[in-house]
Amino acid sequence: MSKEISNPENWLTDHGDYLFRYAQSRLRNEEQASDMVQETLLAAWRGWARFSGKSSVRTWLVGILKHKITDLIRKEIRNRRLTEAVESDPTSSLFNADGSWVEAPTSWKENPEDLCESDQFQKILHGCIGKLPEKQQVVFRMREITGEDSESVCKAAEITSTHLHVLIHRARLALRTCLDHHWFGGNRHS
Amino acid sequence: MNHFCKEASKLQSDEFERELTLSERFRLRIHLLICGACSNYADNLKHLNSFFHGLRKQTEEDENITLPESDRKRIQEALKKASDSNS
Repeated sequence: MSKEISNPENWLTDHGDYLFRYAQSRLRNEEQASDMVQETLLAAWRGWARFSGKSSVRTWLVGILKHKITDLIRKEIRNRRLTEAVESDPTSSLFNADGSWVEAPTSWKENPEDLCESDQFQKILHGCIGKLPEKQQVVFRMREITGEDSESVCKAAEITSTHLHVLIHRARLALRTCLDHHWFGGNRHS
Repeated sequence: MNHFCKEASKLQSDEFERELTLSERFRLRIHLLICGACSNYADNLKHLNSFFHGLRKQTEEDENITLPESDRKRIQEALKKASDSNS
């Protein structure tokens, strides 16, 4: 393997911005994102002997970064000692006793790509996510903002997959209702 | 009459998390054929899913987002220290 490839300072030059963007897209916190880049490059330096050369250096670095991000979130979850007590179940208010919708969902016209461009929508979205009970919020963020798969989220949050599915389901229901009221269905409610 | 909507909403969310069993899939598909509200819910969930996917991709590809210079220097020093102590 050539010396250039195995020089961590070159990794910083060649992949630093990319790794930072990746971390930032998942964490939405600049300070944490740049810490993750540092930890990833240091770990890569220590583990260089294990790099097989089968994938590109960038793919290998991103793999390490993903692990670091999951670890970080796991630590945060442990520190906050999220409790079950505050979990609310929106299904009781969204469904009638016979299992039908209290308020039937309507279709959303706006294109998801256009919504990504809208700062106003993102503000409302983050407001809606912020209103979720804490545990739902954490697993939902990991799943949708960080983009982890179900298995990693369960490991990080130390919960069973059945429990995760319930939390995510509740979060989706509540979020859909909140977005419908504050964005998509705005006109219907005025 | 008992409605399947409440259960259907759980199955629809689960479908993003795990593979549904054959009978779950069957019941859900049949229900979606006859229930407009649940079909809309399915669309809403797909909408959210592609929105979040787009959002991650957008930040990942936004070349205006770069590692702040002060952090870059700090990382460079940390790497130098690590490689010096190793050689």
